[in-house]
Amino acid sequence: MIRKLSMLMASAMLLALPAAPGSAQTTLNVATAGDQNMVDYINDYLGPKFEAANPGVSVVAVGTGPGDSGSLKIFEKLDAQAKAGVEAWDVDVAVVHQRGAAQMLASDLLAKYRDEIATGKLVTRDTADNALGADVGGYVMPMFHSQIAIAYNPAIVPNPPKTYEELVKWVADNPGQFGYNGIKGGMSGVGFVMGWVEAMTGESEKLEKGPYDPALKAKIEEALAAMKPFNAGVTMTPGNAGTLDMLNRGEITMGPVWVDMFYTWVADGKMSPEIKLAIIGPGLPGQPMYYIIPAKAASQDLARKFVELATSPEVQAEGIVKRFNWYPGIDAPHVQSQLDEATWAKLFTDVTPDDLATKGKPFPLSDYFTEILETYERVAN
Amino acid sequence: MNASRTDAEAVRPARAAPTVSEPSPAPRRLPESVWALALLAPSLLLLASLFLYPLSLSIRSAFTERGGDGGTGNFGRAFDLYGGDIVFSGAVACLTVAIADILAIAIAGYLTLGRNQTAVAWLRWLYRWPLFIPFVVAAQMMRSFLAKNGLMNNAIVGLGLLEPTQTVGFLDWRGVIVTFVWKQLPFVTLIVAGAMASLDRSMIEAARNLGAGRLRVLIEIVVPQIRGPLVVASVLTFVTLMSVLSVPMMINAGSPTMITVDMAYRITSLSDYGTANALGVISYLMTAAVAWLYLRQGIRRDGVPP
Repeated sequence: MIRKLSMLMASAMLLALPAAPGSAQTTLNVATAGDQNMVDYINDYLGPKFEAANPGVSVVAVGTGPGDSGSLKIFEKLDAQAKAGVEAWDVDVAVVHQRGAAQMLASDLLAKYRDEIATGKLVTRDTADNALGADVGGYVMPMFHSQIAIAYNPAIVPNPPKTYEELVKWVADNPGQFGYNGIKGGMSGVGFVMGWVEAMTGESEKLEKGPYDPALKAKIEEALAAMKPFNAGVTMTPGNAGTLDMLNRGEITMGPVWVDMFYTWVADGKMSPEIKLAIIGPGLPGQPMYYIIPAKAASQDLARKFVELATSPEVQAEGIVKRFNWYPGIDAPHVQSQLDEATWAKLFTDVTPDDLATKGKPFPLSDYFTEILETYERVAN
Repeated sequence: MNASRTDAEAVRPARAAPTVSEPSPAPRRLPESVWALALLAPSLLLLASLFLYPLSLSIRSAFTERGGDGGTGNFGRAFDLYGGDIVFSGAVACLTVAIADILAIAIAGYLTLGRNQTAVAWLRWLYRWPLFIPFVVAAQMMRSFLAKNGLMNNAIVGLGLLEPTQTVGFLDWRGVIVTFVWKQLPFVTLIVAGAMASLDRSMIEAARNLGAGRLRVLIEIVVPQIRGPLVVASVLTFVTLMSVLSVPMMINAGSPTMITVDMAYRITSLSDYGTANALGVISYLMTAAVAWLYLRQGIRRDGVPP
């Protein structure tokens, strides 16, 4: 009798559960590639803001890990749901890298939403349409731009190298003082290698815009073979954070880092504020992270509203620039007007807008990108 | 004739006994085997679905070319790009096992033969701690401990033993081995110390009475008797080390590195499961070779595996 009663109560409770919150609760699932700061951004800042503006909606953020692998995980999840014939996918909004976006577009996993949201007109930069050679125009909204720069200790290096060639000489004179994380320990090292290939081949136009030309293979190999003696004189660091750690401990005096990560470490007191940044010529790559909406996201309308909020000038100014030290995703003038002079200037203390315009490069096309990585392993290690 | 009949009769009961008594235990024996199967089924199912099935998928993927045809291209690429890393992985694992074995014998030997009871109690309490610390935590700890200007070197410089310019960072293969040994030593010690504790002490006492020093007793009397468990611990350590990703990734920057890092890199950066699986198959073969050596040695020694 007691058992029957408790069973009855349990089933009653189960039935009552969905109705409990009073109003119908909708969940907006946001998957984000990238470091923990991406999850923090949505959980601590954007999610609560969106929930406040849309009662009854709760935003759930899931981090899928740093680097292209994080984007790959989101791709694999969407791809699996598409192949299984699922009608309503359980990711409503995702934040992915350029390669991830290109891959998802090629598999028809993306909704074309940019022209349907109010903020769609606020981006004109080329990376909003071109992701490593793939035409993603209309399918993505840049969340922010990030840039790789060389961090250096001005107390030891008052006049840092200004180009890759000067860097090669500097490394020859100061063995072990330059550090980077190779190509397996994160994108700051990968970006440094991409910049090297562009500098040494002098083919940045082809590498960035295409079309893919197999004839470049030999030139790429030659450029990377020249990296072998260079690598012998540098310190290999364990990961993006490893470079920052070693700089901070004074074990190296120079190394490539992500600008936003660097400023966040300085703000958190994990990095000496004495360290400075510079982009060496001809340039170092940077990349945006994109907001994408899966073609069959369960909550299409809410997802559009979410991206609209996330790319509004107000959120871009307060969240992206002020709190997280990223360069804005939408065009800068829309954001600058929302910010005080000092905050804006802080973002450009070491790396000027002019530097960014002339030396901030996109990553090479996917085909070249893969080829450079493979060749690096063969000849530069 | 008579005798032969008696013989036959004498033999028959013995042979007949089972046939006579068979009908009654038979109904019980059948459910027993069903029970046995039922008890085994979950583990067999688990083995098949979580090990054999993924293993077969992995092997198939390793022998599938980028275009989808069968072939050994992935292995060609694996050896071409990561041949050095394959050797490096095996060497690091072997060296770690060797160092861990020697240190474990020393610690377990002291636990067994040591005379200072306080020291023995402290050692017994201390040596197990790393067992409970995950590899990734150990790696993160070693990353700041072994760095050029890390905790270890700062302490040495602080003690005035070295100048700051003389210090060297250990964030390379040495750091990986230090971390591996630190992490696996308690495991090997636990097994070896257990085996030593269950030895018949009369042999040790006899050797001591005949004037053998403690080191000699350890090397000549104790170690030969615990060879079986020591080999088991070594094989398990080798297999564990071959699968660790976090430690080489976080400590050993640059090249060569362990193949787990290469596998992760092929998948995460290049989405190239073929080469990653080829490296995986190579790593199964390496661990299988170690396991086979161990089984063969066991069979040759005792006729049955220990």
